[in-house]
Amino acid sequence: MEFFVRTLPALLLLTLSLAVHADAVDFRRVALTLDDNDTILLDADIHFNLTDTVIEALENGVPLTFETHVQMRRADAWVWEADVVEHRLRTVLQYRPLSGLYELRDLQGERRLSFATRDAALGTLGRIVGMPIVTRGKLDLDQDYLVRLNVRLDIEALPLPLRPAAYLKSDWRIASDPWEWRLRP
Amino acid sequence: MSRRRFDTLAALMLVVLLLAALHMISSAVQRSEDLGRWFMPLLLFSVIGLVLLFILVGWNLWQLLRDYRRRVAGSRLSARLSVMFLVLALLPVSVVYFYSMRFLSSGIDSWFDLQVDSAMEDALTLSKLSLDLHKRERLKLTENLLATIEDTSQTAIALNISGLRATSGAVEMDLFTVQGKLLALSHVNPEVLLPTPPDSGMVQQVVGGEDYVGVATGADGRLLVRCLVRDRLERGIVLQALYPVPESLSDLSGNVQQAYETYRTRAYMRSQIKFTFALSLSLVLLLGVFAATWAAVFTARRLVQPISDIAEGTRAVAEGDYDKQLPLPKVEDELGFLVSSFNAMTRRIARARDALEKSRRELLNQHNYLETVLGGLSTGVMALDAEGRIQTANRAANQILGLDVGELETQPLRALGDRNESLKPFVERVLEGFDSGMHEGRAEIALYRGGGRQVLLCRHSPLDVATGEPTGHVLVFDDVTELLKAQRDAAWGEVARRLAHEIKNPLTPIQLSAERLRHKYLGKLPNEDARVLDRATHTIVQQVEAMKAMVNDFSDYAKPTRLNIEPLQIDALLAAVLALYEGGTQHVTLATGAPGLVIEADPVRLRQVMHNLLKNALEASGERGEVRVSSRIGEEEGNHFVEIAVSDNGPGFDPELIQQVFEPYVTSKTKGTGLGLAIVKRIVAEHGGLVHAENPVDGGGRVVLRLPAHLAQRAGSADGVRSGGMS
Repeated sequence: MEFFVRTLPALLLLTLSLAVHADAVDFRRVALTLDDNDTILLDADIHFNLTDTVIEALENGVPLTFETHVQMRRADAWVWEADVVEHRLRTVLQYRPLSGLYELRDLQGERRLSFATRDAALGTLGRIVGMPIVTRGKLDLDQDYLVRLNVRLDIEALPLPLRPAAYLKSDWRIASDPWEWRLRP
Repeated sequence: MSRRRFDTLAALMLVVLLLAALHMISSAVQRSEDLGRWFMPLLLFSVIGLVLLFILVGWNLWQLLRDYRRRVAGSRLSARLSVMFLVLALLPVSVVYFYSMRFLSSGIDSWFDLQVDSAMEDALTLSKLSLDLHKRERLKLTENLLATIEDTSQTAIALNISGLRATSGAVEMDLFTVQGKLLALSHVNPEVLLPTPPDSGMVQQVVGGEDYVGVATGADGRLLVRCLVRDRLERGIVLQALYPVPESLSDLSGNVQQAYETYRTRAYMRSQIKFTFALSLSLVLLLGVFAATWAAVFTARRLVQPISDIAEGTRAVAEGDYDKQLPLPKVEDELGFLVSSFNAMTRRIARARDALEKSRRELLNQHNYLETVLGGLSTGVMALDAEGRIQTANRAANQILGLDVGELETQPLRALGDRNESLKPFVERVLEGFDSGMHEGRAEIALYRGGGRQVLLCRHSPLDVATGEPTGHVLVFDDVTELLKAQRDAAWGEVARRLAHEIKNPLTPIQLSAERLRHKYLGKLPNEDARVLDRATHTIVQQVEAMKAMVNDFSDYAKPTRLNIEPLQIDALLAAVLALYEGGTQHVTLATGAPGLVIEADPVRLRQVMHNLLKNALEASGERGEVRVSSRIGEEEGNHFVEIAVSDNGPGFDPELIQQVFEPYVTSKTKGTGLGLAIVKRIVAEHGGLVHAENPVDGGGRVVLRLPAHLAQRAGSADGVRSGGMS
């Protein structure tokens, strides 16, 4: 069921408009490091350049949900083969009128951060520091792996009346080109 | 399951699924969180389903249009009903749609008027003002707390800050350097080891010399007051304290903020909300329209189907297909009764047709049987209608009359005479028989055809049918020519034989007795008596000789002949015969017209024929008579013959006897046996020929004989005329 929920909108997205603001999300820096505990960590500095339509919606109180999708797969994996590791980080950016601040809400840990400016909020949203991907011991040392990083605005998380328009208008296509890195642990 | 039923079920299922999908979309639009996630898939499913339904409806309409153009039975009625149903369905739907859209638009617009806008803004401002007082107090408190920190060593600060947080009632208290380095942290939850980081903008504001106070939201959703205070003693430290807002104030402010956010978001999405509702309504409308269209076409077709079947069946019956049976409608109504009546009617028609066909076959068999029987008859049979028009004739009739009577079908009987002059007597006699008013008649009719005299024995009788009224005539006729001839020949043969037998026997004793009397008494009697005896015995002997000759002729006539057939040139034979008559007082001429023609004949018998004919002609023409012999090749009814004519300038044949001159003992001469022409006729008949006598209009008599000839048998010779006299 979840598959359909995810797939059909994606299909619609593909059918109705192929135009995506690929420059709306820009990976300034991405790094994979190994820490002392043999854990592969991800560091990234992602720059968001929201369109006017999206900014207008944000200023009018519409919560924007961004999803950071990290995948690790065998380099020569079949399409149907499960990912070795998959992380989805979902964060909501919302303007709070009472405080006049922009608030980031981490949907995994329910952590809330407030920012005086939108840029500050987007800066924090795009900063990934030391995100553990997988411990090295879980990987086949003779195997090449692909690490893929994607960031997008989740249209399905928008308020319902906005979704049809969001699918139809390219202004709402806030998504990065996938960042891929091939590594052998 | 039939294909039509499957299609109907599939269409109904599609409509039901679409209805369900649209209902769920409607629920999703009305803020059902669970269904909200399904909104887009449902929307996509509905669009695809509607496209399928549109194709289905389009296909049905196209079929209807195609049938209409092809004038398929029932298509016009189906089209009319479909249009009527559609109009009936679409009119109320369109009205409802129009007003729904208007109500929807005005309804959504009514959510957002200026008063509500202002009230929301005022409520938010009020909340801010309430919080501002609280914020100022907390800022002052924080400034005082920072001032109490005297020892800035790491350990002292760590110890102090927990105390300060506890006494101030703060949730969290952090001490940073102006560079942002954390010096100390105290949280009401000891497990929290990371500070709630201030925004860089806030830090910059504090570093710039202005303390920061603002409202933030805690992890539990409750409001907090965040204070960032710069050290007045210029020790390069910044104190951040997060104070809980009093619960009542927090809840109220939170509610106001929640309501304001919702209102603001909705106001922003006003056009999208309208679009979404309009989209849902339009999808429902499209579903309604498509379903109504499909249902209209389907219902119209279903209603009209029995009528179409009847129309189709009527057409089939009109084209002769009486086995057509229509499917009975499942519903027993007037149409069902009509269809079952139609089926009963076609069954009865089919039975009647089968019976008719059987009768026709029987009639045909009888006709064929009759035709075969008639065809096998040697008697000619001809059927005529009441007006005397030829209806049919058998093969023997064609042969006897010598023409194809079938070609004259439906023509009057007189057409026979028009077609063939020689048949006129036949036609006249038959019509006389019809006109006489006698139901049945019998006549012997003599025809003079190319091949000679032909005698037909003809009978006619009325043709009655079931009504009892005569509807025509049946003419039955036989060619009795040969029969009559054979009868006559046989009779005369018998007479001749008896004469020869009965007369010839006493002649010799008579002759011998006469000679004996003469021999015994001629010398003994006186002269006068002797002269009488001499004359008397001489006369007896002479007459006995004549009688012997006559009896020999009879004998010749009676005894069966045996022909020695051989090829001979007819003109050469004529020339040879006529050569014997040259030099006489009578003039005999020959005009040959069949040069080199060879026929199959007995030359001796043929010479006898010519001698008889010449002798007859010479006797008839007298001392200064002229006899002319001619030959020619003729053709009649596809048969070739050589015609030999012997003419004289005598008185001609007695018209009363001309038909019987070839009969034995028929003669107008004082001398002769009367067998000459009879023998001629017999020899000619034995050669397959014909002979007849006639009186030409320019005077004299003429005997014409025809012998069958084959044109292939010709030898080269020129026409010529020879003449001679008779001594």
